[in-house]
Amino acid sequence: MTDVANSEAKLGSAARSVGGRPASIFAARAAFLAIILLAWQGAVDSGLANAAFISTPASVAQSLWHLFRDGEIFPDLGTTVLEITIAFALSVVFGIASAVVLDRNDWLNRIVSPFLTAFNSMPRIALGPLFVLWFGIGIASKVVLAFSLGYFIMLLSTLGGLKNVDRDLLLMSRLFGASELRLFRHVRFPWALPGIFAGLKLTLIYCSAGAVIGEMIAAKSGLGVLLQSFSGRFDVAGVLALILIVALLVMTLTSVMDLVERRLLEWSRGSTDVPG
Amino acid sequence: MNASLDISVRGLDVNFGQARNVLTGVELAVRRGEFVALIGASGCGKTTLLNVIAGLVPVAAGTVTIGGAPPVAGRGDICYVLARDALLPWRTVTGNVEYGLELSGVGREERARRAATYIDKVGLAAARDLYPSRLSQGMRQRASLARAFAVGRSVYLMDEPFSALDSQTKLTLHDQLLGLWETSGATVVFVTHDIGEAITLADRVLVMSKKGIGVVDEIHVDLARPRSAEALQADERYHDLYRRTWTALKASAQ
Ligand SMILES: Nc1ncnc2c1ncn2[C@@H]1O[C@H](COP(=O)(O)OP(=O)(O)OP(=O)(O)O)[C@@H](O)[C@H]1O
Ligand SMILES: [Mg+2]
Repeated sequence: MTDVANSEAKLGSAARSVGGRPASIFAARAAFLAIILLAWQGAVDSGLANAAFISTPASVAQSLWHLFRDGEIFPDLGTTVLEITIAFALSVVFGIASAVVLDRNDWLNRIVSPFLTAFNSMPRIALGPLFVLWFGIGIASKVVLAFSLGYFIMLLSTLGGLKNVDRDLLLMSRLFGASELRLFRHVRFPWALPGIFAGLKLTLIYCSAGAVIGEMIAAKSGLGVLLQSFSGRFDVAGVLALILIVALLVMTLTSVMDLVERRLLEWSRGSTDVPG
Repeated sequence: MNASLDISVRGLDVNFGQARNVLTGVELAVRRGEFVALIGASGCGKTTLLNVIAGLVPVAAGTVTIGGAPPVAGRGDICYVLARDALLPWRTVTGNVEYGLELSGVGREERARRAATYIDKVGLAAARDLYPSRLSQGMRQRASLARAFAVGRSVYLMDEPFSALDSQTKLTLHDQLLGLWETSGATVVFVTHDIGEAITLADRVLVMSKKGIGVVDEIHVDLARPRSAEALQADERYHDLYRRTWTALKASAQ
C-alpha cells in the first residue's frame, strides 16, 4: 500500500519537472529575443524596411531612456496606472459579485442574460467619445471605458466557473450537512477559481487597452495623450517605447497573478489521468 | 414498533411526480448494526430506494423511518457514500477526510486526530498529503471511505462504491470496509451488482425485483466474522451462497 503511494507520488513530481530546467529556458528566451531584435535591425540596415516607419531597436531604447531620464513620463504614467487600477478593481469586485448573484438566482439570470450578451457585443471602444461627453475629459471617462470592457469579462468567466460546478461535490457536501454559505466557500468558489484567474488576466489586458485608448480620444494627461502627440510627430520610436511600457506593466502584473495562481491552484497540476 | 429496527420502509411508492410508479409497495426492514446488501437488475430502483432513505427523493405513499425519524437530507446520523468518490480536488487526502468532520462540526484538533486515525485504517498514511489528482481509483475510494467512517454516523448508505475497481483492489477494500464497519457498530445498506461482494460483506443479501416492487428474496449469509475477503474465496460455503444468490437474482429478473 505504502509502496503504491510512494511510487505514484514520485510519478507526479517527475511529470512536473519535465520542461522545468529554468536556466535553459531563460537562455532560449534570450536567444529568441536577440533574433527578433537582430532581424529588425538587419531589415532596416539592409534597406529592406524604412526606419521612418518601423524605427530600430536602438532608437526605441533611446526613446525609453529619454522618457525616464527626464522624468517626463511619470505624471502620465501615474494617470494611466491610476485609471487601470481603479477600473480593474471595480471590474473584479462588481464582476465577481454579479456572477455570484446571477449564479444563485436563475430567474434573474434568465432575464438579464440577453442584455449582458448585447452589452458585451457592443464595440465599447466606439462608445469612447460618448463616455468623454458624459463623464468629461478627466480620468472618470477612461475608468468607465476600461470598466465597461473588464466588468463583462470578469462576470462571464466567473459565472462560467460557478455554473459548471461538480454536482457530486455539492450533493456530497449537502449530505454531510453543509449550509449554503459553506457550499459557496468550500465548493462553488474553489471550483470557479481557475476561471476567475483566467478572467483576472484578461480583464487586466482589456482595462489597460481601455484606459490608453480612452486617453487617446480626449484627455489632459496619460500615456494615451503622449502616444497621440508622438504619432502626430511621426515619432515611431516614441510610440513603440510607450507601447512597450504598457506591455511590460501588464506583463509584470500578470506574472504576479500567475505566481498567486500557481500557489492557489497547486492541486490541479500533475494529474495521473492526463499526463502533463 | 420493534426497538432493534433501524430502517423501516413500509408500503413505499415513488413516482418522481409522474404517473408511472418507479417503486410500488416496497418493504424493507434493517436491524440496528446490520449489514445488508441490495442487489437486483439495473434500473430496478436500488439507487432510488437509497435516495429515499437519504431524504433526497420524495415519498409518494407509505412510511419510511430511520432510527424512528423520517428521512431528511443532511441528517446528522446518516452518511451516504456515493458511487463517485466526490473528493474535493483542491484538498489533500487529509483535507478531504477533515472536510466531512468539519461539516459535522468537529473541532480543529479532534479533526486532525481523527483524520489521521482513519487515513491509517485505510492504509493511506503515505499518501495523506497528496491531492486526489495524484491518487489511483482505489486510493480515492479509500479516502472516501475514511471520510465517511471518520464522522461516525449510525447509518451508512453506499451505492456501488467499488464498482469502478478491479477485483484484486476490491478484495483489499472489502477487508478495510469490514474493519471500519466492525468497530463502528453502524447499520449499512450497500448496493452492488457484484454477488461476491454482497456475500463477502453482508449479513443478509436482499434481492430486488426487476418490476420495481422491491425486495422479493433474501439470502442469509451465515459466515462467521471477522471475515477475510481473500480467505472466503477458498471457502465452499461462500460458493454455495454465491450459487443460491445467483439463482435468486436470475429469478428476480424474470
Ligand atoms: N430523477 C428521476 N426521474 C424520473 N425517473 C427516475 C429518476 N431517477 C431514476 N428514475 C427511474 O427509476 C428507475 C430506477 O432507477 P435507479 O437509478 O433507482 O435504478 P438502479 O437499480 O439503481 O439501477 P443501476 O443498477 O443501473 O444503478 C429507472 O427506471 C429510472 O429511469
Ligand atoms: Mg444505481
